[in-house]
Amino acid sequence: MSAAPGDPPVYLDYAATAPLDARVAAVMAECLSDPGLQANPSSAHAAGRAAAPRVERARAEVAALVNAPPESIVFTSGATESVNLAVLGAARASGAANRHIVTSRVEHRAGIDACRQLEREGFAVTWLQPSTEGRIEAGQVMEALRPETALVTLMHANNETGVLTDLHAIAALCDARGVPLHADAAQSAGKVPIDVAASGVAMLSFCAHKLGGPKGVGALYLRRRPRPAVQPLQFGGGHERGLRSGTLALHQLAGFGAACAIAGATLAEEGARIRALRERLWLALAGAAPLWRNGAREPSVPGILSVGFAGMEGESLLLEIDGRIDASSGSACNSASGEPSYVLRALGLSDEAIQGSLRLSLGRGTTAEEIDCAAKILVQAVARLRTALPPGALERIA
Amino acid sequence: MSAGRLRYSPRVLELFRTLPGAGALPAGTGEVVTGEAVALDRGAWVRFEARLEGGRVADCRFRAFGCPHTLAAAALAASKMVASVPADAPAIDARLLARELEVPAEKLGRLLVVEDAIRALLAERPRVQ
Repeated sequence: MSAAPGDPPVYLDYAATAPLDARVAAVMAECLSDPGLQANPSSAHAAGRAAAPRVERARAEVAALVNAPPESIVFTSGATESVNLAVLGAARASGAANRHIVTSRVEHRAGIDACRQLEREGFAVTWLQPSTEGRIEAGQVMEALRPETALVTLMHANNETGVLTDLHAIAALCDARGVPLHADAAQSAGKVPIDVAASGVAMLSFCAHKLGGPKGVGALYLRRRPRPAVQPLQFGGGHERGLRSGTLALHQLAGFGAACAIAGATLAEEGARIRALRERLWLALAGAAPLWRNGAREPSVPGILSVGFAGMEGESLLLEIDGRIDASSGSACNSASGEPSYVLRALGLSDEAIQGSLRLSLGRGTTAEEIDCAAKILVQAVARLRTALPPGALERIA
Repeated sequence: MSAGRLRYSPRVLELFRTLPGAGALPAGTGEVVTGEAVALDRGAWVRFEARLEGGRVADCRFRAFGCPHTLAAAALAASKMVASVPADAPAIDARLLARELEVPAEKLGRLLVVEDAIRALLAERPRVQ
């Protein structure tokens, strides 16, 4: 049993980042130590030409995860950069007549802040409101589209609730209106099947570190035909077909490629296993009732469970489990911004209910034993803190 | 993100882990007073219950909803009130609790809720249990 005194805590924060897979680390170490892979892969000399194929192998591995042609992949420093490149780059390239963006209130900060920047630049942004289950429906997008819409940008899977957006339906609507659709797939790539060719998305952002790859590397898929117009955000060398200048970090890219290959090869099996573990956790947490689930159970990515405990204050709950479970809270005191989770607020939760919510996210390393252990710890933690609650607080703080 | 141990003083951690004085007063005789302050917009709800005997606080218990600093401050305040005479209790204020617990400035608003609950307790007429 994990999380006994002296044991490492149960890690349930895979949605924040996944531990580096040992097989990925081995690939990266090989790249760092191989004398034949030390040159700049963009250099024309022999050493550079020797390194370049390793980059293209990684590109092919990354592309294969989302069924994209390798040449449609632009490497970046991570999903945040990919989202910024897609949103800012496509909007700024769209021309003076197209100054409208459609997005939602539950995007990751990367998307929210990029759209706010566009508002400062004079774009109008339509912020779609999710349902209480966290869904953005295709009909909402259809109603929001205008003749001057330059871009629709939405998360594929929400990072707090795990709820999936129906990209196929929304992409079909966008295509019919000639509007590019960008999807932030940081939480879904490698977790659920993604086929960019079939889905019709114009752009898709994802990264390595959510898949057991290294931090600091990501990708933006850009559809080839019709190719969305995108302006670069940085300049200096014209790497990545002019869209993302900067010397390519071969070991990072090789690690990303390896992580994608592993995730792709085990996606169905791991998805089913992790989904079953998530439901096992939810059932085991019944001992901490009254509690609720934030966001729809399905469709969702397998590994995210957002759960609220009545009468709980998030910071106290996190401290109560500190050192035994690593998880994330949507409470005011623990968010970097100092504000309650805007995602859960958009779902209609009160600030008190948000404070009592935890995001428990599972991944490749999660075991059934860990889930049982984590559930036991959480049930005990909630019970102890509830013993100190004022009369009536359990009913009122939910 | 995870709660970081470094954000809490050792005294806060000790009180949070043990919650001395949490719960209801045990059954007994004497005068009982209660005081409560609710400020969910500040993330705190604190209730004190004290038994008075011979003009002194014979026992004091608390119940609270809030962050670790709030719970620790309520526990510390309850312990300080035991054996005190009610007239001295106003000295147990947010400033004193913040100093003893090394509470960061951004949490002082929550300690004021603890202070408000103490004042509410002192303002209540004693009732015989």
